[in-house]
Amino acid sequence: MPEPILELKGVTKTFGGLTAVNDVSFTVHRGEVFGVAGPNGSGKSTLFNCITGIPFGPSGGEITFDGKRIDGMAPHRIFRAGLSRTFQKDAEFPDLTARETVALGGHYGAGIGRQALAQATEAALDLVEFEPSRRDMATADLSVYGKKQLMIASALVSKPAILMLDEPASGLTRPEIAALDGLLCQVNAAGVTILIIEHVLGLLLSVSQRLLVLNQGSVLTSGDPREVIRDDRVVEAYLGSAAA
Amino acid sequence: MTRNRSLFALAALVLLALVPAVVTDSYTRHIFIIAFIYGTVAVNWDLSLGLAGLFNFGHLAFFGIGVYTAAILTTALDLSPWLAIPAGGLTAALAALLIALPVARLQGIYVVLVTFAFGQLCMQVVLSQGDLTGGAEGLVRLPYLRIGDYSFIRDFRFGYYYVALGLLTVSVVALLLLARSPFGKSLRAVRDNPDYATARGISVARQRVLVLCASAVFTGIAGGFYAIYLRVASPEVFGFSVATLILSMVLIGGAGSILGPVFAALALTFATEAMAGIRGLEEARFIVVAVAMILVLRIAPAGAIDIFGRLLAPRRKS
Repeated sequence: MPEPILELKGVTKTFGGLTAVNDVSFTVHRGEVFGVAGPNGSGKSTLFNCITGIPFGPSGGEITFDGKRIDGMAPHRIFRAGLSRTFQKDAEFPDLTARETVALGGHYGAGIGRQALAQATEAALDLVEFEPSRRDMATADLSVYGKKQLMIASALVSKPAILMLDEPASGLTRPEIAALDGLLCQVNAAGVTILIIEHVLGLLLSVSQRLLVLNQGSVLTSGDPREVIRDDRVVEAYLGSAAA
Repeated sequence: MTRNRSLFALAALVLLALVPAVVTDSYTRHIFIIAFIYGTVAVNWDLSLGLAGLFNFGHLAFFGIGVYTAAILTTALDLSPWLAIPAGGLTAALAALLIALPVARLQGIYVVLVTFAFGQLCMQVVLSQGDLTGGAEGLVRLPYLRIGDYSFIRDFRFGYYYVALGLLTVSVVALLLLARSPFGKSLRAVRDNPDYATARGISVARQRVLVLCASAVFTGIAGGFYAIYLRVASPEVFGFSVATLILSMVLIGGAGSILGPVFAALALTFATEAMAGIRGLEEARFIVVAVAMILVLRIAPAGAIDIFGRLLAPRRKS
């Protein structure tokens, strides 16, 4: 029996008269890779923001993480509780080195002491295969892929129960996407549950065990990724009614 | 901080410690003392403005609170100046806590407005509570610093010079250590990307409260020392001219660099004093400082310390 780790019930987000996320419900099970797909403007990133509270929480509905309600919880506490996210755009602390960036997550996110922090930092950077020679470089000088690796490492250093990835393949080349594919499988194999939003369907299909498709803020369908993408409603949402 | 900058700072400290051996006139030593006090205020403003990216425009209020704390404690309660000066740091930190609570969750222009209003509020309180603060005339004839029978004003302000230099040194060292600590790094993270920082477990509001309180401690102590040194507490410390001058030290020196504002404080205090002695420039000196600030920000937004760094870099390569 799969154990639920993250449950959303009727999550809604409105901005004035616009409903960006409308009554979304789903459950992520411990240890799985759960994908969320949808065309531009379907509410994927807004949904991520609602779950993590960064920069805003939901307008309605319930979000339960590891048996505890987290909607309304301070965003930094959500991270400390074990729910870690990355950002679609290259998020960085340009003044800090890669090591310092990861160590911050360990220090503030998990309260790791000075002695253990250096080890935890190296372990997180090793897990994402971050080049040792670049670990003392300012993050502003890293490549796009390096910044993605670093963002994931800084999310993993606190040993989160669930890692939420917001379009990690955006801006990457094909070989880099292939490398990211392997990396995500490795992270998942290390026991981290993954919730991933992605535009690159190839990557989503490769890593996800279940897939949910959003359209105009609502759940269109969910289930086995290969069946979901053959669903006429999904094809129509992505390519228009003529294609379906 | 790079090794070169550390060596440069150490050499500067040694030179400044030797200044009284060479400079024996009271007036020049006075300018140094004022520069050290302004440097302490500037470097602590740099902590909240430069390092944490908090548009705190009420920093001089912490200085003023230090000034009036020392003045009131020494005149109304007859407290020793040695206790009244650090008490300025304590009251400034408490005031910072008071203003930090509403500011912590504000963004951009609203932080500017609230902190600016706080400075004006402090000035109005001082002006309206004349019985305690002396009102517009301020408080005068504050006691000298002394140890036993030795007054620090003697020997051409010899004692005051080293107290001021010590205050600046301790403050700069404390800030350099703070900047290297996880707290200092978290401030840079909050400044550069608050959402990402939050997503790594950092409470942006908490760090803002802490940084405002931390930046107020040495600023309040500097204010207390300023009052005792000049033997006067005047509401002018809450005014625009001092605030503009010290802000220009932070921006010309290099916001977020810590050492930049210290060197800018020395340079600008002496420059403005020199211009005050030139006919026609007495009133225009602040215009000159403002133009210098615009030029530095246009040419090198990271400040004069960055310009010097860039000038030295090609030589190292060659």
